[in-house]
Amino acid sequence: MKRTLQRQIKNIQLWRSNKSFIYNLHPPRIPASGARFTYTFGLGGLAILSTIVAVITGAYLMFYYVPTLDEAHASVAFINSVVSWGALVRSLHYWSAQAMVVTTVLHLARVVYTGGYRPPRDFNWLIGVGLLLLVLLWNFTGFTLRWDEESIWALLVGTNLLKVIPNIGNQLYVWVVGDTTLGGAAILRFYAWHVFGLTIPALVGIAYHIWRIRVDGGISHPVASTKASRATVTRETLLSRELLTTLFALAVLLLLAGYIVPPLGSPADLSASGTAEIKAPWFFLSIQELLRYLPPLWAGWILPLGGLVLLALIPFFDSKGGGRGIWFASERWKVQVVFTLIFAAIIILTAIAWWR
Amino acid sequence: MLTSTKYIFGFVAGVALLWGAWFLAVQQNQTPMWKQYQQQYFQQTGQPADIAVRQIVPQMTGKPELCVSCHIGLQEISSSHPVEVFGCVSCHGGNPLTLEADQAHIGLRGGKNPSDLTVVAQSCGQGCHSGTPDPSKNHVESVRRSLQATYAGGIAAVRFAFGAQSDALPQYGVFAVTDNDGITTAHGLSKLDAFPHTSDNPIDIKFAKNCLDAGCHLSEPARAEPYFYRATGCAACHVLYGNDGLYQGDDPTIPHDEPGHMQSHQFTTAIPYTQCNHCHNRGNYSLRQMDFLLRDDLPPLGAPLSDQMPDEGRRLIEYYQPIGEFTLCEWELDCIDCHTAQEAMGDGDIHPNQQEMQYTQCQTCHGTLETLPNISTVTTADTTVLRQAALNPNYQLHVGDQVIKTSRGELLGHVKLIDGQYILTSKVSGVQYPFNPVKGSGCQQDGSRQDSAYCHQCHTYQR
Repeated sequence: MKRTLQRQIKNIQLWRSNKSFIYNLHPPRIPASGARFTYTFGLGGLAILSTIVAVITGAYLMFYYVPTLDEAHASVAFINSVVSWGALVRSLHYWSAQAMVVTTVLHLARVVYTGGYRPPRDFNWLIGVGLLLLVLLWNFTGFTLRWDEESIWALLVGTNLLKVIPNIGNQLYVWVVGDTTLGGAAILRFYAWHVFGLTIPALVGIAYHIWRIRVDGGISHPVASTKASRATVTRETLLSRELLTTLFALAVLLLLAGYIVPPLGSPADLSASGTAEIKAPWFFLSIQELLRYLPPLWAGWILPLGGLVLLALIPFFDSKGGGRGIWFASERWKVQVVFTLIFAAIIILTAIAWWR
Repeated sequence: MLTSTKYIFGFVAGVALLWGAWFLAVQQNQTPMWKQYQQQYFQQTGQPADIAVRQIVPQMTGKPELCVSCHIGLQEISSSHPVEVFGCVSCHGGNPLTLEADQAHIGLRGGKNPSDLTVVAQSCGQGCHSGTPDPSKNHVESVRRSLQATYAGGIAAVRFAFGAQSDALPQYGVFAVTDNDGITTAHGLSKLDAFPHTSDNPIDIKFAKNCLDAGCHLSEPARAEPYFYRATGCAACHVLYGNDGLYQGDDPTIPHDEPGHMQSHQFTTAIPYTQCNHCHNRGNYSLRQMDFLLRDDLPPLGAPLSDQMPDEGRRLIEYYQPIGEFTLCEWELDCIDCHTAQEAMGDGDIHPNQQEMQYTQCQTCHGTLETLPNISTVTTADTTVLRQAALNPNYQLHVGDQVIKTSRGELLGHVKLIDGQYILTSKVSGVQYPFNPVKGSGCQQDGSRQDSAYCHQCHTYQR
């Protein structure tokens, strides 16, 4: 009996058991060049960690958040001050979501600069681009759920962009917002999108993205031509590095969450004309800035989506040649220059809008 | 390549950092202001600490309110507004479901003062003090049309004197106001426009600066100086302020050493002369200079004169300016013992000047050489005076009592005729003052000159 119990306990171990989940996520041996911290900076893993924190804290917030016109903002204020650990959990949710955007974008940049998108990883690259879009929408819907003066006018601008799409714009608006104007229907729909409609595809997508890494031959690494480049590390080593990174990242998240309280403005008043300064969430500031210069259809749809399509097509422009797994390899300079220009333009536009 | 020693060091450092971050983040979130306020409250009241989120569910709204978690020692505003019925939000607005001051106070009506005239209709109105079938209960409308709020007579007199308008008939009030429920008095006006603050007439500019914006009417915040502290709107009279403007209650959120606060969060109809004094008797108008000249004979706050003088002497100094002329009752009674609710809060009409509204004379209670004071027996129909008496703990009134009736038909429930003796009970102190009518006395005044100004010729104290 005692022995059976011991065996059972051993079987449910998550660590160093042949049947453990986390252990088996990793291949037995990993190319040392791909597992080097300064190769990936752990960005993909940090994005996943952020997601895990956001999902857990989000689940907690779901117990208290009320997605109605009257209660939405009040329930956030309630979470902040009355719910046990509410303020800290909400703050963690907010900061993990911000970290998710940052790490996802940097992860994408790392993949571009190290050539990790090339076949056979081209399909996983497409999945990754899709996940970027999901992460941005996840964040934007979360941002609107505060239903305060800041988020409501950004939501108004954002959803009104739907209307400029020729032919189907108005129908699309009603489909997304659930009404002809913003109101209770919009909150409920954005809440449903946030906790369900985006969460499920994002989680499935992330799982698939991870699985595909194994299927595509592990993390990208330089072509093994020398003895040094053929060196490998064990999964224990990789797991140790991941654990260390996780510990430090969680500490940073906790400190951010503890000391920098996420914003919550006055309750949104849709009946009043917008007196608050309209500012999109930071990850959409570049689009907001573009709207100042270009017609909405171009600034809100054609250019951002064009950029996304361009990103998605990178592996098809650059699928062969040297420089795989090497940071800033000169063989792949064209892709890197184009990406850097787009990335810099987004940062500059964001900075202009930020300090405007 | 990291060695195993470095890994171990890294893990230890990582775990320590995570634990430290957790500790700091938790600590940051575990000392919210409401807990600190409650600790302070229990400390200052000497009660055993019972720190918990506190909630009330007022009967009027049926919705929970957490305000008392911070405002734990705040007094109930009045027995007519029990907190278990009204709660906080019915009057104050705001967000009752948060314990963060910033969020809770978003949407507060009139800031700290829901009786401010800009918001009073939403807070005190709501079918209670406004829009009722009984005009005597519609205080919101009456007060907004009253001279203390409109300042119509003062504005018209000054503009006329300086040639900014061709007659002394008021055109402007401090704010625009209309009387659309029927003018009931001979001099009532149908409307006043808002004073032209944007006028480029130098008269208007100077008058606005020196007078209208200088804390001289019900909707203007008081000067932030000793003696002047008061609220606006209803609370200007009904919520008492000390001359030092210091809070004396137990609400831990209100500092006790910061001037500019009410004495306590309580309404009263027993308004002492000191409250009237925050506006009145603070100086003199100079029409020539179009300015208000502060009196300079008041002792500084905290000076021995103010602190240690007997009440009567202090009142003599604080209330009456040099060369003031007054009778004994004007010295000993409080303003509201003579001046009626209608005089102070209006009668529902927009009146053109003070003369039309301030009608209490010595003869109101004392009668004249030829006639005894007007007496009326209180019946169940006299709801206004019975209500006024019920709200004031300092005097009693019953159906069947004989009381003074003013020339405008108001009953003075605190001035009675009992067994042939006239007795005034102070509304503020409850002290009884028996008094005699003029008729049958030794008064040798000319029968046609019975206004107070003539009484002052003989019955005068002077300072």
